[in-house]
Amino acid sequence: MTFTLSRPRERARTRQSYVTRRNIPYLLIMPALLGFLVFKAYPIIAAMYISLTTGAGAARSFVGLDNYVRLVNDPLFWTSLWNTGLILVVQVPIMLLFALLLSLGLNSPLVRLRGLWRLGVFMPSLTGLVAYGVMFSVILRKDAGLLNWLLGLFGVTPIDWLGSPFWARISIVIALTWHYTGYNAVIYLAGLQSIPKELYEAAMVDGAGAARRFWSITVPQLRPILALTVVLSTIGTLQLFDEPFVLTGGGPDNSTLTISLYLYQNGFRYFDFGYAAAIAYALTLIVAVFGIAQMRLQKK
Amino acid sequence: MKGWTLTFTLAVVFGLCVGPFYWLAMAATHSTADIFSWPPKFYPGDQLAANTAQLEESIGLVRVLGNTLYVAVVQTAGAIVVSLLAGYAFAKFSFEGRDLFFVLLLSTLVIPGGVTIIPIFEMMNDLGLIDSYPALILPSLSVPFGIFLMRQSLLAIPDELLDAARVDGAGELRVLWRVVVPVMRPVLAALAVFLFLGAWNDFLWPLIALRTPEMYTLPVALATLQGLARTDFGQVMVGTAISSLPMMILFLVLQRQFISGLLAGATKG
Amino acid sequence: MIDRRAALAVLLTGALTAACGTTEDPGQAGPVKITVWSWKPASDGLAAVAKDFEKANPNIKVTVQAVGNPAIWDKITIDMAAGGKGLGDVLHIGIDYLPGYMDKFPGGLADLRKLGADSHKDAFAKGLWPTVTGKDGGVYAMPWEVNPVGFFYRKDLFDKAGVEVEKITTWDEAIEAGKKLKEKTGAFLVGLNKSAAGSVDMDFYQSLLQQQGAFYFNGQGEVTLSSAPAVQAMTLLKKMNDAGIVADTSGEGTAKQLISGGKLAVLPWAAWAVSYIPDMRPEQKGLWRVMQPPAVTPGGKRTAIVNSTHLAVSGTSPHQKEAYTFVEYALTRPEVINKVFKEGGVFPALTAAYSDPRYTEPQPYYGDQPALKPFVDALTEGADATYYSGDYARALKIASDAQTKVLLKGADPAAALTEAATLLAQQTNRKLAG
Repeated sequence: MTFTLSRPRERARTRQSYVTRRNIPYLLIMPALLGFLVFKAYPIIAAMYISLTTGAGAARSFVGLDNYVRLVNDPLFWTSLWNTGLILVVQVPIMLLFALLLSLGLNSPLVRLRGLWRLGVFMPSLTGLVAYGVMFSVILRKDAGLLNWLLGLFGVTPIDWLGSPFWARISIVIALTWHYTGYNAVIYLAGLQSIPKELYEAAMVDGAGAARRFWSITVPQLRPILALTVVLSTIGTLQLFDEPFVLTGGGPDNSTLTISLYLYQNGFRYFDFGYAAAIAYALTLIVAVFGIAQMRLQKK
Repeated sequence: MKGWTLTFTLAVVFGLCVGPFYWLAMAATHSTADIFSWPPKFYPGDQLAANTAQLEESIGLVRVLGNTLYVAVVQTAGAIVVSLLAGYAFAKFSFEGRDLFFVLLLSTLVIPGGVTIIPIFEMMNDLGLIDSYPALILPSLSVPFGIFLMRQSLLAIPDELLDAARVDGAGELRVLWRVVVPVMRPVLAALAVFLFLGAWNDFLWPLIALRTPEMYTLPVALATLQGLARTDFGQVMVGTAISSLPMMILFLVLQRQFISGLLAGATKG
Repeated sequence: MIDRRAALAVLLTGALTAACGTTEDPGQAGPVKITVWSWKPASDGLAAVAKDFEKANPNIKVTVQAVGNPAIWDKITIDMAAGGKGLGDVLHIGIDYLPGYMDKFPGGLADLRKLGADSHKDAFAKGLWPTVTGKDGGVYAMPWEVNPVGFFYRKDLFDKAGVEVEKITTWDEAIEAGKKLKEKTGAFLVGLNKSAAGSVDMDFYQSLLQQQGAFYFNGQGEVTLSSAPAVQAMTLLKKMNDAGIVADTSGEGTAKQLISGGKLAVLPWAAWAVSYIPDMRPEQKGLWRVMQPPAVTPGGKRTAIVNSTHLAVSGTSPHQKEAYTFVEYALTRPEVINKVFKEGGVFPALTAAYSDPRYTEPQPYYGDQPALKPFVDALTEGADATYYSGDYARALKIASDAQTKVLLKGADPAAALTEAATLLAQQTNRKLAG
């Protein structure tokens, strides 16, 4: 279906009565708004009510703020908060730095076969959850894992990737970085290609070295894009679920339990929907605070 | 010399990114008993046809691929239209409550996915839409990221271009189709890859919303192969490898447009 | 334009009426259709007898769907949370979820007493009926599969180490044998997924508890995770681990890979493994044997039912009667359940089934040993009822965290379990047993 079938005048006549200059924008956002109201606003309000109840189905009863009180006193919730924060602080900067360096390489005219490398680094972000889970559980095995095999070629003794709390967190960071670095690199690549060449040429004339050009031209020019990726990665990591779900199940001993995973366990494993909804609200609040704070900081 | 060092470094990164896929592709050609053996199998085996045939028998591979493609295409097209319309309004009209509506729509980015699933399921049930494709497609039509991307890129289109078309008597939809869409091709391509990816790999909601195996999408069908200790990994590997293919093809085809499209959305902070 | 809008309206109305039309008309004649949700390979067994059932009951049509495990749990859980709409009529539910569904979703599963399930009360292996009975005395599922724990061992490896496995009667003796085995052959005694928090990974620890008649909860619903038997079982694991005879099997396929390399001498797996091991490693024919596991204490019990799966009927199914008719047909007739066993590899809970010759016939794969017999013996002896409670899933998770602490961080068993028990009591609002 296209919008071009009817002739303009005909359209103007039939629509005149109810399509006015004033309500056009409202009509245009109507589908998006409807989707928002029905599939986002209503469920999140329903979840608010659920977070004030306990039990499910016929056994549901109103308990006020009990779930939120329980949340504050729940050591596992704090553990999940701590883990999520730790992964956020370590992983997001590393990944974005890698992505930036990678995009510089992918954009360099000195490099051969750029198209191939671009496709390759973007491939990980195309992976579905099932493929991801199967691949990494084989990669990260201790005794017969691909990563330990690779490291073994360089004389590294086998690492217990999923078995030790420390390495399990590192594993999550590695998997996340593998998954999303290419994605961010491609976004940066787009940004790099938009920087006017004249800027670099002028700097060269002034005798600026490569490092100098990077800091005084590339970084400032990329700033809006860097900002966008920081916000999106932060939101994504705060809601981190896939990696711990398929790789570690939150273990060992809850060292990779994230807020989203704890939410899932309470709802889908323990059928404690009221509590799960309370966790969801806490998470929403945290993400919102982070998002707003970052946007404020960047405006300055 | 420097070029070769850079190229070599990129080749190493490429290897790290693609290595797991290579292993996956090789695993798809071995029998379940051999897949996890040691040392890892980096050469093709002779079980690809057998694994594929078994997969076709147990999940109806061809049919399931068709279902997935149908859902992903319709969902992607629908979400693009919704995003484009809304983005157009937010970028090119000033109206009462514009900023409020925009912030509201974007705010859904912060809502964790699991929360909305039970209310939406109840709703779909009451509408009698369970086990139908509208149940899969409808909730994913209003995508905050898409609306954001569209608005940002539309801001870059000069108003004069639109006004010229309007003076000629074109309605708003016609302006959109004739003037806006052609210049927005790259951004639309980027959004299409993004949306298609999400729809193609979506698992939890289709699992919940679908009932009959003939309706299943690929991720849901692959999950049916799992049974406690007895998963047939030969089939799983083939299915997983096949599920990654369309995305690669799509990215290859749209690569150029995709990259410049992302740019349009990202630069106008 | 108008035409197109009209067309759209027609399309929409059409879609909606079509959607409404799919809801079933109760007055309609013709066979009743019931849907069974299960997972592979058990579903294959059920599908095999569904054909016979349809012949005997021409007014009922049965569709068996393999939903996949663990996918089936998300599906059932959300349907239940939404008031049971859209659920399959018959649901295959494992012991790790059944108590939770019974406890947290009143009315979610049908009370089968009304349909006559009580008459089969004594037909199943002892210890199972209390598991399917709710707090209100209702019967919410019928036992299908039962998994008494076994001790599958590589006779060739033990021979090489000069150990007579058949003489081992306690786990302490097994540990000594394991040390010799490791020294002589390099093989580990057992493999455990030391880091993961899955239910199957806790079977071994649970079997050590159950051998002592203990569990995470007692009959009063109090937390017993730090009781003396719990500590003793965990201490045993620690001893084994410290002796360096426990392989870590975390990661997909790790156990398979160790088994194929001859690095695992014992699989403390349940009855389903009798047919699984030959499927997995046909080339190791003749090397494996099976017996009942050693006891925790000298002279103690050597059997335990580590898990079981059941068929339940959805509480919102409009065809509960027909659904129950199928469940009863499939699970309470020896010849039918044995066919299910043959096709789906699911060890039946129905005791009358065991008189079939297959349970005592020698199996070439196991050196002509009657490999199913140790399990039948265990079930005939019977097990104590295990008090799972509606909070079993949470207990399982917390206990597995404690096990991880002990195995990976070398924590003191008593301390780790006391901490775990306190957390469990706090999270479930239960009392610690005195």
